[in-house]
Amino acid sequence: MMNIFKINPLRKRQFVGLVLGLIIGGTIFFILTLDVSEKYVSIGPMNTGHNDISCITCHADARGNLVQQVQSNISHAFGFRKNGVDFGTKDVTVDNCLNCHDRPNDRHPTYRFSEPRFSDAIKVIDATTCITCHKEHHGERVSVPSMDYCMNCHQELDVEDDPLDISHVSLIKAKQWTTCIQCHDFHGNHKYEVATKLKDTFAKITIQKYFQGGYDPYGTDKKYTGLLESEWLEKLSEK
Amino acid sequence: MVKNIKLLLSEVVFLSVVSFTLVSCGGVAEESTESDAEENIFSVDQVLEMVSKENDVTRTLYTKAIVGQGKLQGMKFDEDWQKDDVEAGPLPALFLRGVATSIRRSPVPLGLYLGSDYPVNSANKFQGKQAELFEKIKENQDPQYFYDEEQKVHTAMFADLASAGACVSCHNAHPQTPKTDWKLGDVMGATTWQYPKDSLSYGETIAVLNSYAKGTIDIYMQYLDEIENFKNSEKPIIGDKWPAEGNYVPTAEVFLDSVRKLASYETMNKLMAAK
Repeated sequence: MMNIFKINPLRKRQFVGLVLGLIIGGTIFFILTLDVSEKYVSIGPMNTGHNDISCITCHADARGNLVQQVQSNISHAFGFRKNGVDFGTKDVTVDNCLNCHDRPNDRHPTYRFSEPRFSDAIKVIDATTCITCHKEHHGERVSVPSMDYCMNCHQELDVEDDPLDISHVSLIKAKQWTTCIQCHDFHGNHKYEVATKLKDTFAKITIQKYFQGGYDPYGTDKKYTGLLESEWLEKLSEK
Repeated sequence: MVKNIKLLLSEVVFLSVVSFTLVSCGGVAEESTESDAEENIFSVDQVLEMVSKENDVTRTLYTKAIVGQGKLQGMKFDEDWQKDDVEAGPLPALFLRGVATSIRRSPVPLGLYLGSDYPVNSANKFQGKQAELFEKIKENQDPQYFYDEEQKVHTAMFADLASAGACVSCHNAHPQTPKTDWKLGDVMGATTWQYPKDSLSYGETIAVLNSYAKGTIDIYMQYLDEIENFKNSEKPIIGDKWPAEGNYVPTAEVFLDSVRKLASYETMNKLMAAK
């Protein structure tokens, strides 16, 4: 009977390979879970301002261990439980972003775009979620393909006593939609003097570089700044 | 024969290990809320109507007793009240925006928006389904309910009336206004409310009403903080007096207490009847 658990000499090489594989795999797995390895695990460089935050800031561990998560999701798939569960880490949502970036002065908060009248606009650009414009792990600040997104909601803008030398109405009529962002920061958090002459507005290339993570033409004077990881942790402990 | 037994045993051991692993640890506990155990006793329409009435009373009090009377005392209210160089309080529409923002920060999945067909800010103009339903609201002021298939939320719209002289005078005189002949009692716009479930338990209903009340306190506290930070303007005295009595504004507690006295009778009746 003991013979059935005995390794066939011809399979010894396979057995050694298996053991070696387990040791090497286990070591790699262990190294990759260390804090110092985070930048190698990340799927891309962190966006502007996020270089000093660790994975756990957004990717919190999901409830239960991996086996429990597999079991729960199989049970859910076969209809034995009401809800499935997150696997590995919790899904990253708008709430993760707002934990550090929520501001009372946000002129375009994500929740506003859940109103039915924005249903057509959000089909073009889904402003109900941060990652539409701020895709993480791209090493940049804003990740929209074009700067003309204001056109999706502001077609009927008409500014009374327009302070701009070329009126907003004329710019909209001429479909100069990239000019909006050359004056106005989308979230309205910078403190700066808005230009009154089109020639004094920020150049398109300057804004493009800013989107890519470069110099901030709207200035560094902001009413609110995002929380540092230490501040976020402190906020969590207060809850 | 030995080979077959060996194969069979391997399969049994493998399946046993997999089954044991999957079943023995019990999985992740289902997330249950207190409301799961409670019976749903209100339809979403009833709850949205209740919270909308709380909103009507709160906004009317703020508009009449704070903004209207405050302006007579020389206090300032501005749409740019949050800008550093502006020393003013929130206009009523911005007050509602503040409440909505606070609700969104709470765990209650309630959405609140304000719009119109003649808004001061053209970005707040109704479109699509809301524009269509708003025409009906203007006819008879009846609430309109629908299910938003795209957002997967139950939605209700309620008339927002010109309930105070300040609504009419400010909107008619605003440089950006597209309409200058508003009158008291006009349907100036509508509030839109969203909630994901079709019915709510007693606890969930209370949570909705509480999240609205907390929103009121949050935005009102922001206004009081703004006053504290006035540098160039005269600061109203914050206490138990109202602007009608002079250069005073009530504390958040005094303000909410008045809201409760005015608002809650009808709501309370409904809640008590259900209990």
